[in-house]
Amino acid sequence: MSDILLEVKDLKKYFETPAGTLHAVDGLTFKLERGKTLGVVGESGCGKSTTGRAILRLHEPTSGEVIFEGKDITKISQKEMTKLRSEMQMIFQDPFASLNPRKTVSEIIAEPLRLHKIYKNKEEQAKRVLELMELVGLSERLVNTYPHELDGGRRQRIGIARALAMNPKFIVCDEPVSALDVSIQAQILNLLKELQRDLGLTYMFITHDLSVVNYFSDEIVVMYLGKVVEHASSVDLFAHPTHPYTKALLSAIPVPSIHGKKERILLKGEITSPINPKPGCRFAPRCEYAKECCFKDSPELREMEPGHFVACHFADQF
Amino acid sequence: MADKQYSVEINDLAVRFSTVDGVVHAINGVDLKIEKGKTLGLVGETGAGKTTTALSILRLIPNPPGEITSGSIVLEGKNVFEYSEKEMENIRGKQVSMIFQDPMTSLNPVITIGDQIAEVIQLHEKIDAKGALEKAKEMLELVGIPGTRAGEYPHQFSGGMKQRVIIAMALVCNPQLLIADEPTTALDVTIQAQVLDLMQKLREKYGTSMLMITHDLGIVAEVCDEVSIMYAGRIVEHGTLEDIFDHTSHPYTEGLFGSLPNIEKRTEALKPIPGLMPDPTNLPEGCPFHPRCKYATELCKTRMPVKTDLSDTHSVRCLAYEEGTGVTLGGEKA
Amino acid sequence: MNTSVKKRSMAAEVWQRLCRNKMAMLGLGILVIMILGAIFADVIADYDTMVVAQDMKNRLQGPSAEHWFGTDEFGRDIFARILHGSRVSLVVGLISVSVSLIIGGSLGAFAGFYGGRVDNVIMRIMDIFLAVPSILLAMTIVAALGTDLIYVMLAIGVSGVPTYARIVRAAVMSVKDQEFVESARAIGASSPTIIFREILPNCMAPIIVQATLSVAGAILSTASLSFIGLGVQPPAPEWGAMLSSGRSYLRDAMHITLFPGLAIVITILALNLLGDGLRDALDPRLKQ
Repeated sequence: MSDILLEVKDLKKYFETPAGTLHAVDGLTFKLERGKTLGVVGESGCGKSTTGRAILRLHEPTSGEVIFEGKDITKISQKEMTKLRSEMQMIFQDPFASLNPRKTVSEIIAEPLRLHKIYKNKEEQAKRVLELMELVGLSERLVNTYPHELDGGRRQRIGIARALAMNPKFIVCDEPVSALDVSIQAQILNLLKELQRDLGLTYMFITHDLSVVNYFSDEIVVMYLGKVVEHASSVDLFAHPTHPYTKALLSAIPVPSIHGKKERILLKGEITSPINPKPGCRFAPRCEYAKECCFKDSPELREMEPGHFVACHFADQF
Repeated sequence: MADKQYSVEINDLAVRFSTVDGVVHAINGVDLKIEKGKTLGLVGETGAGKTTTALSILRLIPNPPGEITSGSIVLEGKNVFEYSEKEMENIRGKQVSMIFQDPMTSLNPVITIGDQIAEVIQLHEKIDAKGALEKAKEMLELVGIPGTRAGEYPHQFSGGMKQRVIIAMALVCNPQLLIADEPTTALDVTIQAQVLDLMQKLREKYGTSMLMITHDLGIVAEVCDEVSIMYAGRIVEHGTLEDIFDHTSHPYTEGLFGSLPNIEKRTEALKPIPGLMPDPTNLPEGCPFHPRCKYATELCKTRMPVKTDLSDTHSVRCLAYEEGTGVTLGGEKA
Repeated sequence: MNTSVKKRSMAAEVWQRLCRNKMAMLGLGILVIMILGAIFADVIADYDTMVVAQDMKNRLQGPSAEHWFGTDEFGRDIFARILHGSRVSLVVGLISVSVSLIIGGSLGAFAGFYGGRVDNVIMRIMDIFLAVPSILLAMTIVAALGTDLIYVMLAIGVSGVPTYARIVRAAVMSVKDQEFVESARAIGASSPTIIFREILPNCMAPIIVQATLSVAGAILSTASLSFIGLGVQPPAPEWGAMLSSGRSYLRDAMHITLFPGLAIVITILALNLLGDGLRDALDPRLKQ
């Protein structure tokens, strides 16, 4: 087999809330090859952000294994984890909230270098900061500015530079462009692609925007209320969406073209709560094909075609 | 052709804000017309002046620091700047109503949904409290929320439901013009699809004209009849859907399309617009888009383009379409 | 490398921004004068002859060229006593507030950051402290340890701890869920690093306001302790003690209470002006 960087087995993350147990991520399994991108798509509350954080142990997973370069990182100590953090990084959604407003650009980018005591002298560290700034396309004169003086696109570049400071192998991108304007969004997406090509990075790309994920990912996982409903290569998923939720999701994207309007599947109702979920398929209450068994048994994720997994009782009929 | 009826006509509107950092030229000569019963999409990025344009129609620009320096906004044949504040209050919510981007903060958390809608009705119609609440319930049913939920508070509703409540509130007095400021940006795609669908149906039913403010060209393609592309406080291109999508003329519009990932052709590389929106306190000389424009020439740096009509419906502000400027798009790159 | 991008020092920048605030500079000026006065008190007015020596012939005299602020009930020069008293009052005010701030601030920060059981234990202990009137608490501590100035400061400091714990806890809780805290964890920062480098700098505003205000409280608490004989011992001068001893002459010789009172008011005002300025200067977002 090929070179697997990250393998996740039956990852679960539950939160205890006053209303009951919230099943944020409920049994996630996937393998990610080095240098590839896995897209994780879903709507708010589907557990996609929690997934990214559980893999990096920013939230301790409830159960399951996260095997990074052959080592199960859910079993190692906090201290070892702190060391490993230099190899696994994260880019956050909100470039306004994810940067400390009291620090200058250079301080923010130097933070990981300082924490991991990479450089003994200040000059070398400052040089590395400037290198990183150049890498992500930030002008040198911005070193002493504060984040609030910059626009969203530049702030997101700071976040990317900080994530790259330790030469990581794996980066979780949590909605990195959803807070940005269209033209800036494209700049950042291109930058992330270039960095992946030049530095051989492996990404997990979390987003709600299907057109972005299609452009960006090799494989896509579609999540609904903590469960994976469909997992396939991007090409496959967009060509042959199988799960009723994936179909509805794809049809709901507004396409910027006035030709060939497609039939839209309007889902009824809204996403339910993942607190104390009832048995059965979690999508059943909104599914137009739902039969009795859908409300009783949870569908397993089955391989319908090589590399194309669907969790639906009637997957073979669609 | 017969005279077209317009529900709103904006002519040469200019708005500026005086701040400590200098004067922000938010809007610099905007012309907009919305035909009765039609939807106009106003597209642009953060800071282009979309929301300021909308607030000007309702005369809700905070003054100070905001100041309308020129132009007129004609609603039903009369310039809104000539109305008294009292008359204006009657217009807001009754003739023109607005839907804001964030459904979470647009509702008062301590008043029930039913009462909030009823309040709007009572403000504009002579009706008793009971009748107003009855009407509020009907309106809720219309947007797909059971009338029995009228006694519930906003926190008991999800984001999509709240946006429906806001739509109900905006349409309850049957306004002639509905301004929707990014109404679905805060919602998930499947919910967005529901809400857009609902807005379309209600609009058709009541014959309401709509100003749809958005940054999403996909939404524009779906709900609008005409489109205005806004950049740095100016309309840089205006036309019907077909004009804009199939005969894209302005380099900025072209850049917007190039920035969108194509869902059909995933390998196609993105062609983003380089650079950033200009600083509105310090707009560049000449065409405000020239620092980011790949076709920009020396002339673009000094000469402000004027509105050029390409057809009856399609107009653009770019030197390349003016005669005798020697600026061309595509052929020779500067 | 370009010299124009050389790193500006944080302190220099804060100072630069502080200098632009006229009111803060006024406050700083007043404080500097007071501190200089305290340092050179012996040069300006001799302790033995002017501050503690009684002169019953000249008691209760109003302000004059000889005695700028008049004399007290024992004929001592009030100006000289205020000058020497500033040594005690300023030191007590600043040190006891620092004690409250450091102990209370850290407890509050830990409680707010970790939440759950840690929070519960720390805050319930603070509640117990709050239930006891702070002056009673201070009295108990001084009575147990002795009336040395150091114990007085400690006692007043400790009685202010719960207030700071509450304020800092609330401020930390409002900041700790912001994404930049999580992003610091993602790059491998430890919890103490996160608390002290990421969170606390963003909680400065309420802390500084409270600190400048409570200096006044500390000076008055010292006075109360002195009044019941547990603070500064007579005849040593102390502003609060002077204030309370002049009370009985309020009707005939108002100046005895007026001038020490003014000294306290001006000190607090100066501290507040400086505190406000400092709060703004420490926040880079307010920079123009």
